[in-house]
Amino acid sequence: MTARLARWSLLLLIVLVLAVWLPQLWNLVFEYRYGKTKLFYSPVREDFVYTELLGEGHDFIYRDRAGSDYTREEFEALIPFIYYKNMELWGRLPLELAGQRFDKAAIRAERQVMALDPVELPSHAPRVELFPLLESNPGRARLRFPENAFRGGERLEFIDSDANRLDPELTERYSEALAEQGFRFPLQAIFGRVSILKAFDAGYFLVDAVGDLFHVKRLDGEPWVNPVPLPEGLEVRHIKVAENQRREFLGFLVAKDGSLYLLGDGDYGLIPLPLPGYDPDRMELKIIFNPLYRTAIYSDREQIHAVAMDRDFEVIARYQRTMAMARPRLVDRLWETLTPYGLSLREPESRYVALSPRLHPAPGAAIGIGLSLILAYLFLRRRGQSLRASAVDLIIVALSGLYGLIAVLVLPPDRRTAG
Amino acid sequence: MSSKSLLAAVFLKEWLKIRWAWLGLLGVNLAVLAYLFVEMRHQFQVEHSEMIWYWVFELRRLLYTEIKYLPALTGLVIAAAQFVPETSGGRFRLSLHLPVRGDLLVWGWVGFGALMGGLLALLDAGALYLIVGTWFPHEGAVSAVRTALPWLLGGWVAYFATALVLLEPQPLRRLVYLGIGAGFLALLYQERGYQEYDQVIGWLTLAALLLVPAVVLPAHRYRHRC
Repeated sequence: MTARLARWSLLLLIVLVLAVWLPQLWNLVFEYRYGKTKLFYSPVREDFVYTELLGEGHDFIYRDRAGSDYTREEFEALIPFIYYKNMELWGRLPLELAGQRFDKAAIRAERQVMALDPVELPSHAPRVELFPLLESNPGRARLRFPENAFRGGERLEFIDSDANRLDPELTERYSEALAEQGFRFPLQAIFGRVSILKAFDAGYFLVDAVGDLFHVKRLDGEPWVNPVPLPEGLEVRHIKVAENQRREFLGFLVAKDGSLYLLGDGDYGLIPLPLPGYDPDRMELKIIFNPLYRTAIYSDREQIHAVAMDRDFEVIARYQRTMAMARPRLVDRLWETLTPYGLSLREPESRYVALSPRLHPAPGAAIGIGLSLILAYLFLRRRGQSLRASAVDLIIVALSGLYGLIAVLVLPPDRRTAG
Repeated sequence: MSSKSLLAAVFLKEWLKIRWAWLGLLGVNLAVLAYLFVEMRHQFQVEHSEMIWYWVFELRRLLYTEIKYLPALTGLVIAAAQFVPETSGGRFRLSLHLPVRGDLLVWGWVGFGALMGGLLALLDAGALYLIVGTWFPHEGAVSAVRTALPWLLGGWVAYFATALVLLEPQPLRRLVYLGIGAGFLALLYQERGYQEYDQVIGWLTLAALLLVPAVVLPAHRYRHRC
């Protein structure tokens, strides 16, 4: 019996290894650089335009929503705020749009892109919760890291990085400053952008024990704490701080109910973004600012959505399409028939290694499993195995299709160990 | 002979077989850990501490990859020291004729080997915590150990896969076991930053436990080969 258990254990291990590596091998051979559709709101056509790769080579299309095709140069001229440097080279500046004139300086002053990817959400990436609190008013051209980092907990604890020891004085000072502003420990969450390569330092946003939000900075060496008013019932899931020299917004605020806001600089005003179907756990989001419009573009692996808004974030138009990269190819169909699933080591939405099962569509996968079962049964019978003795092998094949068949073929039962 | 004294005899025999290899591995593990300590100390001497913390916590750079393949090497060498002598000259077949069940005997062998490998893995994990904890706060040291867990599991997988390959009498099957071992090991070294295996290490450990029942199959086949 132990010999049979041993073999079944090995069959399961083979299935595991194949379910991870065979799909990777398949991808290595057949994957192609389709990439996501690039979708924009054209201030010239006042409609959506997009570009995507349709086939192998450089089979790009440049198309508008109505289906009219353009050359690359024509397409770029449809979104001149994006390609303003080309417009300048081609002598098309200043632009005249919507009865207004825009020269290079005017375009540059209004351009901004804000992005939020699922991988940036706290639950999508491991994080050592230690953060450097930069001096927000460095009095010099560049920001620099302090020789300490802080952690949350029952206090705001500062650790000296040279001595690798708690700094009791800083800890006391900042914890008291927070408490004076009504912050209730223990601290729940810390959000900020750890970098010195940014336009300025906006400090951190801290969530206290009861869900209230506070803005904290180190200003001229002293604690600077500001409570951030939140609408009734809003619970903060994540804040992506994105310091931009336009200083209109400090970043995104993702609420626990999935709604998304832009967080205003200075007054902490929250602007709700009307993005139907947006799921921060699955979708990449970009907000493109230009002198006339704000366009939100968000996509998972199949669908891309766009919402064009005016400068006050009033919706002008919406669009949604299935991206060319999501259209299954013959090789994909073949693979989905051969195997019932794959175990994916990496998902683009997460930094964690996973063994996520990617189930293949039932009709195709059922054919693959059926064929694998027949072949496994015939093989086992040829080796003199009765149906009863083959039961566990066949169950493994039924649950894993081609992977199980390969496992049985490379590790056939010994005639002695067979029951 | 009671089963208890037989087990003691098995352990003694295994210790005699692997003692020089194990002491050599202890030396190699200590040397690599000492190098890691010196290397990290040097890092903090030539670079600002706050910048190194930034590299590690924010840019997710791993400063302790020196030990990455050490457990796997340890597992491989212990298994080789145990089973190369067994499988040469038909001694393995003789052992399987001892008055004890073959599977229990094999589990006794691999239990001892895994225990000795486990001691070195424990040494690596403990030393990693202490070394990283010298220059990083507790969170950083814990994170380093959690990051190293799949590498430590790699020691277990390498040990059992090597045992399977060496005990297997048939060359083609050896290739299959080699493939399973290599395929499983490759699953454990896919990190691009710290703690990326936090959500799957439990599942991978469960899968690695399948190697315990699996390892008796070659012995069974060895015993019953024509």
